This record gives sequence, structure tokens and C-alpha cells, in this order.
Amino acid sequence: MKKRVVSLMLVVALAVTSLVGCGNNVANNNANTDNNMVVAEAEEVEEGTVYYLNFKPEVEEIWQEIAAAYTEETGVEVVVTTAAGGTYESTLKAEMAKNDAPTLFQINGPVGYQSWKDYCMDLSGTDLYSWLLDPSLAVMDGAGVYGIPYVVEGYGIIYNEGIMNAYFALENKATEVASMDEINNFATLKAVVEDMQANKEALGIDGVFASTSFASGEDWRWQTHLANLPIYYEFADKGISDAAEIDFTYSDNFKNIFDLYLQNSTIPATLVGSKTVNDSMAEFALGQCAMVQNGNWGWGQISGVDGNIVTEDEVKFLPIYTGVDGEEEQGLCTGTENFFCVNEKASDADKAATIAFVEWLFSSDTGKDYVTNSLGFIAPFNTFAADETPTDPLAKEIIAYMADDTKTSVAWNFTAFPSQEFKNAFGGDLLQYAQEKISWDEVKTNVVTSWASEKALSVE
Amino acid sequence: MSRLNKKIKINANVNNCELSKPARVTGTTFLTILTILFLFPIAIVLLNSVKGKFYIASTPFALPTGEIFVGITNYVEGFRKTGLLQATGWSFFITIFSVLCIVLLTSMTAWYITRVKSKLTTNLYYMFVFSMIVPFQMVMFTMSKITNMLHLDNPIGIILIYVGFGSGLSVFTFAGFIKSIPIAMEEAAMMDGCSPIQTFFYVVFPILRPTAITVAILNTMWVWNDYLLPSLVLSNKYSTIPMAVQSLKGSYGSIDMGAMMAMLVVAIVPIVIFYLTCQKYIIKGIASGAVKG
Amino acid sequence: MQKSMKKYFPIFVLPTLIAFAIAFLIPFVMGFYLSFTKFTTVTDSKWVGFENYIKAFTVNTEFLDAFLFTAKFAVVSVVTINVFAFGLAFLLTKGLKGTNLFRTVFFMPNLIGGIVLGYIWQLIINGVLFKFGYDITFDAKFGFWGLVILMNWQLIGYMMILYIAGIQNIPGELIEAAKIDGANGRQILRKITIPMVMPSITICTFLTLTNSFKLFDQNLALTGGMPAKQTSMLALDIYWTFYNRVGFEGVGQAKAVMFFVLVAVLALIQLRITRSKEVEQ
Repeated sequence: MKKRVVSLMLVVALAVTSLVGCGNNVANNNANTDNNMVVAEAEEVEEGTVYYLNFKPEVEEIWQEIAAAYTEETGVEVVVTTAAGGTYESTLKAEMAKNDAPTLFQINGPVGYQSWKDYCMDLSGTDLYSWLLDPSLAVMDGAGVYGIPYVVEGYGIIYNEGIMNAYFALENKATEVASMDEINNFATLKAVVEDMQANKEALGIDGVFASTSFASGEDWRWQTHLANLPIYYEFADKGISDAAEIDFTYSDNFKNIFDLYLQNSTIPATLVGSKTVNDSMAEFALGQCAMVQNGNWGWGQISGVDGNIVTEDEVKFLPIYTGVDGEEEQGLCTGTENFFCVNEKASDADKAATIAFVEWLFSSDTGKDYVTNSLGFIAPFNTFAADETPTDPLAKEIIAYMADDTKTSVAWNFTAFPSQEFKNAFGGDLLQYAQEKISWDEVKTNVVTSWASEKALSVE
Repeated sequence: MSRLNKKIKINANVNNCELSKPARVTGTTFLTILTILFLFPIAIVLLNSVKGKFYIASTPFALPTGEIFVGITNYVEGFRKTGLLQATGWSFFITIFSVLCIVLLTSMTAWYITRVKSKLTTNLYYMFVFSMIVPFQMVMFTMSKITNMLHLDNPIGIILIYVGFGSGLSVFTFAGFIKSIPIAMEEAAMMDGCSPIQTFFYVVFPILRPTAITVAILNTMWVWNDYLLPSLVLSNKYSTIPMAVQSLKGSYGSIDMGAMMAMLVVAIVPIVIFYLTCQKYIIKGIASGAVKG
Repeated sequence: MQKSMKKYFPIFVLPTLIAFAIAFLIPFVMGFYLSFTKFTTVTDSKWVGFENYIKAFTVNTEFLDAFLFTAKFAVVSVVTINVFAFGLAFLLTKGLKGTNLFRTVFFMPNLIGGIVLGYIWQLIINGVLFKFGYDITFDAKFGFWGLVILMNWQLIGYMMILYIAGIQNIPGELIEAAKIDGANGRQILRKITIPMVMPSITICTFLTLTNSFKLFDQNLALTGGMPAKQTSMLALDIYWTFYNRVGFEGVGQAKAVMFFVLVAVLALIQLRITRSKEVEQ
């Protein structure tokens, strides 16, 4: 009896397997089976295929749509996989070791290029490179062009104007501040934030700032983006753009704003280790907090939340003030750390197909529509007319700030950070600092030592 | 054979000590409480898989009532977004065929190296046993590189890898059992003109059946749940369930906790059903392994 | 019979051997060799002698920390799992009602895979800790005990089965004789039961010890090494050395060799000790 049951189970299992297996062989090899979309049969013999390892989890679904749309239009197979937060380097490494390696991937700038130069194809002869508004932004080595920036982004403190106005209208508020324009340095920001936190019940929020998320792989807002500010200022003082060692002179400024985030948040600082960026954005979207540090790529995470109560015209950017002299003129942090690379080791057919795909994305009407309206990218190419820029509120703010001559944008110097290891170690220390396990002096010392040792290792 | 069965009759009151009534009652109560505690985690996952995604991480113990309950939305979303159906298919395919190959090939190998005494076979035996101790990390990087060079990075190729890896424990188990089978029957069969192949399949394998089942079960559990090996060898188009679960956890932004819970349930259900149907065999098999030491 | 069988080697042994060679033997030897080289892919290696081994300890203390953490974890787990498993086995051989049901339930966790297991327990532990305002990443201690609980949940059932078989193997006459001689429950346990189940203790200790040291999936899922790699065990640390940094493959391989040697030595020592205590049946 038992034997019959076992044999029956085996038969059922085999049947299931063959059903699914058959399905796999016939259908396109996309990672997602989406919407019954019948994708054209891929002719793998002559045409190449495209395999893109995506860096941005927040737009993962959109890339799947783009892939499907491209395949439907041209018949070329496009596969998109997304690396988990904080794991792009290790995922890329593992994937590159396989036979089906990515044909399209990205590096974060000159530092990333050092790790991947054997895999980057020279793109200087492509149309894509010729479309760059500012060719000097590309990652170059001698005369060759190996990384082409594909999006200009910016980040700062995203705030909910509705809640801010509610604060300004409060009768018993402790500060004299009556509008956002008056908040143009750290001292004022701190005063307002702390007062808002004290009055959070009256304002109907759980805290001023969203959770300072620190779950594994989720700490990039602090160890990279926020860390950019002190490094930017230190480099500016010294007139350099990279260094084998740093002094972390502006560490106290970092501490200023970081403490502000931690102490005036929707959750106590002890709980930050399990929160994700998604959680923080959701808190903002649901009106549980008034501010969250993030970039314009985060718009999708706000608008896409079920029960989102934040409207487009209420969402604005505030520069990240840290208490540096002259920061009244500081704007948002804008730049790029996303450079497309084509895998040099892929087959010629695959390489051609990949370049064709990317060029389609940034020049065809369908492609450009996806770029501006779905991905929300500010693309640095001359194929985009002045009116073909993203319409989401955050992107509009970025463009406005970049165009504002009275403000100086903070450049993205974190592309010079020594390595992912450095960033991870910094993030780990910040978490421990938040949990009050180590002192700020320890964090500071570790940053300096770690920068020097990681830089030394990277040139070995 | 029957002696073996008698020893494994679990229900027998072998120790023959009569427990007093109060002792029995406390014992049973204690075990019942423990049972509930043991089942608790599985129940939690099931409960959470029908809750709305925002309510899972913050209040995992809240019951799914009222607005928190969302029915099978999470399952539907999970399947739709993550290619879970494909992952399930691949997991089934790889597990079933790997196990079949392992059982067949390693039993044959074990019989040969036990019956044919030579320096080669003795050394082979020790190599197989040795491989059981080596941690996967020792060979992980080099093996994944070789696998890719030989184009074995697909569901068919990975079966070969699993045979290679599973052979250590399986050969050891089979060999241990074969040693205790009297050689007389096999010699008689060979003298009657059976070839070794016929002898093996008609005489030896039927006797090996209980061990074969044990080996099959142990390997099934291993292969079905394995994460690291397939993640390094298989390209993403052939993801198995554990790979899908891990990629789900990493890739936030479009995947939610609800779908995650649903995935966990789907990862557990087949193996639990398998276990409940084959329970007696599984336990008998593991226990008989203990008797032989 | 041997003679006629000999020429069937290719059919009986070769397939397994080929798979074994490809999946294990060759990678093993290569790995050993490569641990003395600096390499990125297996074909471009440069001999550097013991440099990788030294680097494993000097670049940072992660390897050593992982070793201490793993060792502590293994000791605690081996003791707790075996004690509980034996205790349960003892109870379940008394012929209580529902023994079959209990046995089924206690074994079930063993079926569930490492990754899945880690996430299930992460959910539960975080749920409990949230009430106190913490989460599992807050303190390495939470991660440590979380892993211990998880390991126990997973392995107690399996070891229990092995102990039950061992206990049932004790000839009833021995116990009877002891009772007649006036021995009480505790004396029977110490003088007869435990020595007679030594073979089971050997196996169970071996299995829990090696499993604890080699733990990877559960570690990755439950804590991911948080906070700041303090809860990362040896296997996870080696994985990160390979894949999270550029240029450290040689060091990763060296760590893996040391890891293997450690596990092998421990296993051998443990088998020696418990084997010597086994009583002739």
C-alpha cells in the first residue's frame, strides 16, 4: 500500500515536472511570467540575447516590462535580474563566473571600473556615447570609453509640505519659523525638527523622520549618500577628487544630522536594525512622518504604496544641512554613479544586441517614454528634448535645484569611496553607534583607518 | 531481516518499566505542550501568509482577522511576481532525478567496492567516507568554476554534481548494509550463470530496498532544501525554490512580506506531505542506520 | 566471483566515480593548490606560498572572530541538542499514549530547509524582541541564541530518533536483571542505558558537531552576520571573503582549507573519544 502511494506520488511529481518543464522550454526564458504576455520566440542562433543585471530594486518591475516590450517589438530576448540591496558587487561576480553571464551591467564609477576593466567593452564608437550631453562624465581609460552614465539623480531630505505647513500653523510651537524658506541651515532645521517631534501628536505623526533603516543591505542611505557630504567638503577644502587617506574632518557634521535622524524618528534608535528602505518610504507615503532622506528614484516607492496619502504637489526636497559654514547656498546632492557597461567577454552577437537594446531605450519613442515616465530617469542624452524629462515631483525638484544658480550642488564624491567593504564596515559601525554600543570617536577612528587600508588594498 | 524489524518496533515497551499514573500524566502533558511549541513556527508562517503585507513584520503574532486578513492575495501575488511556479518545477525535476540517479549509481558502486577486494576499491571507499567530512566551502569556488567550464550549469548538469556530492554518504550507507548481507546468494546466482548486472538487479537490489529508501529520503531532503550549491552553479533562469526564497528576501521594492510568507509555505508543503506519507520508512531508515553505528 | 565481476568496473563504478571526481575530487585538489596562490579565475594563478594563510588572520580579525563564535555555538548546540534529544527519546520509549504522534511532530522541523528555517525564526524572534524595543540585529547575543534555538528545533527530532533506536536496542533482560538486583531508575540510567547507547551518542555527537560547524544557510537567513559580522560563522565568513571583495579569492581558499582541517580534526577526535567508550554489545 505504502509502495503504491510512493509510486503514485512519483508519477504525479514527474507529471508536474514535465508540465512545467515543457512550459519552460517553449516560453521565453524571462525570470517573471507576467500577465500572459505572449513573447515572441527568440531566435538564439543568429541574433544575440541581452542579459541585464539591474542595480535598482525599486524599479525592478519596470525593467521587466521594458524587457517584454522590447522583445515583443524586435523579437530579441532580454532577461533582467535584479541584485538585492547592497549585493550588486557580489552578485555580479557570481553571475560573471557563469556561462550565461550578464551582457549589460553597471559600475559605480572609476573605482568600480578598476574591478571590472577586463569585462568592459570600449563604447567610444557607439551612438550612445555620441549622445551624451557631457562626454567627460563617462568612465574613460586613455582614449577608450568603458562606462556610460545613464541617469542623473539627486538626493536630499524629502519632506511633506502639508505636514510642514501644519507645523507652521501650530499655535504653541516653540520656534519662530513660519515657512520652509527660513530653513536654510542646520541650526534652524534642528530647532524645527525637535519642536515638531515634541508636538508629534498634535501633528498626527509618529515622528518627524522616517525610520533610519539599517537592515542588511539597506544602510546605503547613510554609509554612502549621507557620508558623501563630509567627504565632499573635505575634498573641496583640499582641492582634490580622490585621496589615499582622509582625516574625516567633517565627522561632527555627519554626526549632527545623523543624530537628528535617529532621535526624531518614528521608531526608537534601538530598532533601526530591522527596518528596510521600503519600510521608511512606506511610512512617509502613509503620512506617519514628515521627512525622509532619499533620492528622486524613490518616487515610485512613495506613489506605489497602498493607501498612500501624500500628493504630488506636497512632496518637495530640502538640502541636507549639516552645520557647515555657508551651507545656506548648498543645494541637493546631484550626480551619477550608474554607468552602463557592455560585457567585453560576451559573444559579438550578444554585444551588438545589447548595444542595440540600450540605444533603443534612449532614442526610440517607446524607450524614451519608459525612461522618463516609468523609470523616472533624468537621462543625460541629447536624444531627449527639453520637455522629455520625468514628470514626477521629485525629478522636477532635482531639475529645478540644478538649474538654480544661487545654489551649489554637492557633487557625488562617493564614487571615490575605496570599496564596498569600506561602506559595509562604516554602515556596521553606524548601526552600532545607533544602538549605543560604540562611541562616535570609535566610528571616526575606524572610518579613517578603514579608508586607508581599503585604498591600499585596491591598488595592490 | 525480521530481527531488524522487531528491533525497530517503536511502540514496544522495551524497557518494561511501568510508569506510575501520575508520572504518565505529567509525561504526556509535557510532551503535548512541547508538541504545540514545536508546531508553533509552522503555524505562524501559515497564519502570516494570509495577512496583509504591512502587518506581518510589525505584528507577526497578531491573528489574521478583520482588515488584516487578505485571503489568498499573497499567494497569487507571490506566484505572479516571482516565477514561483517555475522554481517549483525545477526543484521537483532536479530533486527527483538527482535522487534516482544517486540511488541507482551509488548502490551499484557500493556493491562493487564491497565485493571486489582490491587496493583500488579500498581506497575508493575511504575517499567516499572522507568526502563526508569536507565542508562545502572547501570546494565551492573551484567546483563552480569547473562546472561552468564544462557547461554543466543547467538542471541536467547539476544532477551530475549532486551525484558526485551525494555519493559520499550514499556509498557509505549502502556499503555498510551490503557488508552484512551473506555473499552466498550472490555467489550462487553467479555460478548459475547470471552476469553481475543480473545478479545485482535481481538478487542484491531487492534486499537493499530499505536502505535504498533511506538513502533516497536523506538525499531528497538535502537536494530539495539546498541553497548554496544551485545558487553558485545554476544560472537564474533555472532557480530552485530555496534560490527564489533568498532572492525574494533580498529584492525589496517590489516584493512584499506577504508574498514572502506565501513562498515559505509553498517551500514547506511538498516536503511535509512527502514526510507524512512516507513517515514510517523515513524513521525506520534513520533508526536502522543508528543500529549499525 | 571476484574475477568475473572485476571487468564490470566501468558499469558499476565509473559513472559515480566520474561525477565524484568532477564535483568533489578535482575541486578539492585544485582548491588546496590554489590556497597557496593569488588568483581570480582558476586559470590565472600566481604562487604566493603561505601569504594567503597569513592574510586570513592579519587583514582583519573576522576569521578569528567567526571561529570563536562558531566554536561557542557548536559547544552549546551539541550539548543542548543531545541532552534534550536523549531526554525525549527516553520519554518516548516508555510506551506513553500518543508516542507516534509526538515522534512525527518532533521530527518534522528537520525537513525544512536552512534558508526557509532562518526566515521563519527571524520573523518570530523579531516579533518577540519588538515588544521590548529591540530586534535581532541589536546584539550579537540575540543572534547567537536565535541560532541555538533554531538548531535545536531542527535537529532534536532527528537525534531523538537515533537515540530511540539505540535505547530500544538494549536487551530487556539486562534491565530486568538490574531491577531484580535492586537498582533504581537513576542507577539503571547511568550504569546500563547510557553505556549501552554509546554508539548512538557517537553518531549523534558527530552529526551535531559537524552540522554546527558547517552551518551556512540558517546563518545567512537568520542574521546575515548582523550586527557588523559579529554573528557570522565560519562558513558565511568564507563565502563573503570569496564573493564580497575583489582580489581575496586566494585568502578565501586558504580559509576554506583551514576550515576543512578544523572540522576533520574535530570529527576524528570526537569519534575516537566516544568510540572508546562504547561497550561491547
